[in-house]
Amino acid sequence: MADTMELLDIEVWDGNMAASQALRQVQVDVVAAYPITPSTPIVENYANFEANGYVDGEFVMVESEHAAMSGCIGAAAAGGRVATATSSQGFALMVETLYSASGMRLPIILNVVNRALGAPLNVNGDHSDMYLGRDSGWIQFDAYCPQNAYDLNFIAFKVAEDHDIRLPAMVHQDGFMTSHTAQGVATLTDEAAYNFVGEFKPMNDMLDLDHPVTHGVQTEEDWHFEHKARQQHALMTAVIPKIEEAFDAFEKLTGRRYNLVEAYDMEDADVAVICMGTSVETAREVAEEMRAQGIKAGVVGIRVFRPWPLEQLAAVLKNVKAIAALDRSSPHGTVGTLFNEIAGTLYNSETKAVLTNYIYGLGGRDLTKAHLVSIYGDLKANMDAGKPTTPLQQYIGLRGPKLSFF
Amino acid sequence: MEKKGWDGFEIGAMLRSFDGAARDIATTLPENRPYSQSNLFKASVADWRIEKPLFNKDYCIDCQFCWIYCPDMSIIARDKKMVGIDFDHCKGCGICVEVCPTNPKSLLMFPEQKDEEQALAGWPKKEKNAKAEEPKED
Amino acid sequence: MSEIKKIKNLKEFSTSADRFEGANLLCPGCAHSIIVREVLNATNDDLILAASTGCLEVCTAVYPYTSWDASWIHIGFENGSTAVAGAEAMYKALKKKGRLKQPDRVPKFVAFGGDGATYDIGFQWISGCFERGHNMMYVCLDNEVYANTGGQRSSSTPIGSSATTSPAGSTSYGEKKMKKDMMAIMAAHGAPYVAQVAPNKWKDMVAKIQKGFAAEGPVYINAMSACTTEWKFAPEDTIAISDLATDSLVFPLYEIIDGTKLNITYRPKNIVPVRDYLGAQGRFKHLFTKQYEHILDQWQKNVDDKWTYLQRREEASV
Repeated sequence: MADTMELLDIEVWDGNMAASQALRQVQVDVVAAYPITPSTPIVENYANFEANGYVDGEFVMVESEHAAMSGCIGAAAAGGRVATATSSQGFALMVETLYSASGMRLPIILNVVNRALGAPLNVNGDHSDMYLGRDSGWIQFDAYCPQNAYDLNFIAFKVAEDHDIRLPAMVHQDGFMTSHTAQGVATLTDEAAYNFVGEFKPMNDMLDLDHPVTHGVQTEEDWHFEHKARQQHALMTAVIPKIEEAFDAFEKLTGRRYNLVEAYDMEDADVAVICMGTSVETAREVAEEMRAQGIKAGVVGIRVFRPWPLEQLAAVLKNVKAIAALDRSSPHGTVGTLFNEIAGTLYNSETKAVLTNYIYGLGGRDLTKAHLVSIYGDLKANMDAGKPTTPLQQYIGLRGPKLSFF
Repeated sequence: MEKKGWDGFEIGAMLRSFDGAARDIATTLPENRPYSQSNLFKASVADWRIEKPLFNKDYCIDCQFCWIYCPDMSIIARDKKMVGIDFDHCKGCGICVEVCPTNPKSLLMFPEQKDEEQALAGWPKKEKNAKAEEPKED
Repeated sequence: MSEIKKIKNLKEFSTSADRFEGANLLCPGCAHSIIVREVLNATNDDLILAASTGCLEVCTAVYPYTSWDASWIHIGFENGSTAVAGAEAMYKALKKKGRLKQPDRVPKFVAFGGDGATYDIGFQWISGCFERGHNMMYVCLDNEVYANTGGQRSSSTPIGSSATTSPAGSTSYGEKKMKKDMMAIMAAHGAPYVAQVAPNKWKDMVAKIQKGFAAEGPVYINAMSACTTEWKFAPEDTIAISDLATDSLVFPLYEIIDGTKLNITYRPKNIVPVRDYLGAQGRFKHLFTKQYEHILDQWQKNVDDKWTYLQRREEASV
């Protein structure tokens, strides 16, 4: 039996520590992991917990991220609670197995500390790895601060392991900006945290020796389509209600409210910035300042990136006149992912907001308040003109001549 | 098997070998196992065969070479005796005939349509000059 | 520890109830299946199995059918080893936490992979599993070629073999190098038990599998799997070709205990010339021409040298 850790009501934790504490508290059965900056401390912290008797599950340090997820898949299919963490290049190395985990309906929790993808190599935070995972069939939660990183882990386990769901989930946080920035984190006791997630209930487990199962079959054109459709059906219909249920239960327990789409100052907003990660908090400050200047500014944060909360987002954006989609990843040949998702969300709706796209913060470049002020300025002009007054896609915070497309 | 629609099967493309609980499988013979419809035991590859092995028990010494070297679990051995061939699973490779050490062989290949009684009636006689191979177990 | 199954002779062995089913899609005469049977039937314990992508995997779990009467998993080409290692880690965790459904039963964890999955693409994963010391057996079904995808060379493909990516032609005798020595590499991991086996020598093979199952820690089995399709011989000759391989010492049968002590486990009474083994297979046909016959001499020398080396290692007992 693992030892209980006495925590203060508020601990000063960075995002990595918050995530490792959550993994400890839910008593993960198997963690198979490989270190990579900036997620390494999640694994190191967890190793420390194990070395000091706070973890009684298996902790397997493997030889690559691909092996980490492969081991997680084997462990999850065997039947138990499984989690790991990674970033960037390591995430990219895992990609093959991400599709296996979701296709085999194995509820693994992956903490992704977002980081840029090389070349050129870069250890800092952007959303390239998160975007790389977006078609992999996983649920994707996004944390904006260490508190979120802690809380969303509990929610992820609760949703993923539900027998109506049985899908793996990622909890994203921004590399360094969240992962290495210590803030006050309101904690749960070990008991309360564990009870919120509950005991792991096995399903189709290989270790049930009286009920042998075959996992990871071959399907060709006669079956593959149906299996992928079944997976999509679960992701599209069962997950969002289950997440909302978990958000409600979590609020009841902690008083902290999470939403699929986080709307700040959006009730009467004319212009809105939509972004993810730590940028949400920066944008909120600037939106307040804009309001002081008479611009009805709001901010929308995407909390659940997959499954995409289309209806909830459309409702939040119903009366907005101009929207800026902020993408922290190089789209390499098209508009940014958020721009595309939002365009797809609004195209058949009543909302005829002007939508523009900003590429920012690649490789950990700061998104400053000044950048956001200029974005809100663009949005105001777009609203007044009723059409884009700028190119559709602009790079902000970039040295050299202004770069824009479309 | 019926090709079900997307909502008609287990999630994760998971398959079960048996219907319900199956204990002590390693010591339960096929005839006593609760095979599921997904178990290949219930399928047949008989149509792969061009030639089939036929078994003449008159010459068989139950050495079990055919059992151990059959790639398709198609030599039926019960109580240490060779009792026949599982023609649902035999692909007609002919290994059993090649490894049969008796003189004449107790297993021979015949065209798929060959009548068994006729085959047994015309079974070759012992070759005088060739001595039966010593069935050595290695 | 669980009881070792008594297998005195073939008659006794034939009372085994296979946990691997026919009507799979493996070629007629495929040695993979014979190997799998000998491995699985060597124990009556519960089994947790994995396979890497390859002939065995694609032929035995094509939806909606399975050949497997024990739990089985496949993820990808490179990670059958780690899949079963993950399951073994979960077994240990649930045992510690008292959550096993059948706590009195101790399953064996076995991964199967072809030589492509073992010598090439899955090499790192296997090495990781062995370094970490999972309690598992890895069985390489070594047919010296990517048979599932139509016969491309792997790092197990031996010299002079004509594979689709190392074809013999007017200026090439086919594959240029001898195969990688996986046995030595796996022994160098300090694994408690490493053995080369051939299904035609069933008694030797089953004894080694049982030794492997009894060992604590990762066990590597390199199983010669004669491939009727890619080696190009008639399906009924699988055992005859395998006999030529073991009796010519192209596939010497030996074991390495604790990474050091090497025992030769089969010494043919009459050693067959290597050319008899090569000549029985279409993949070496071109070597029997004036242009390339020097490779036959090289082959014989390679096999002789290896056999001398193995005998010296055995004698040295270190």
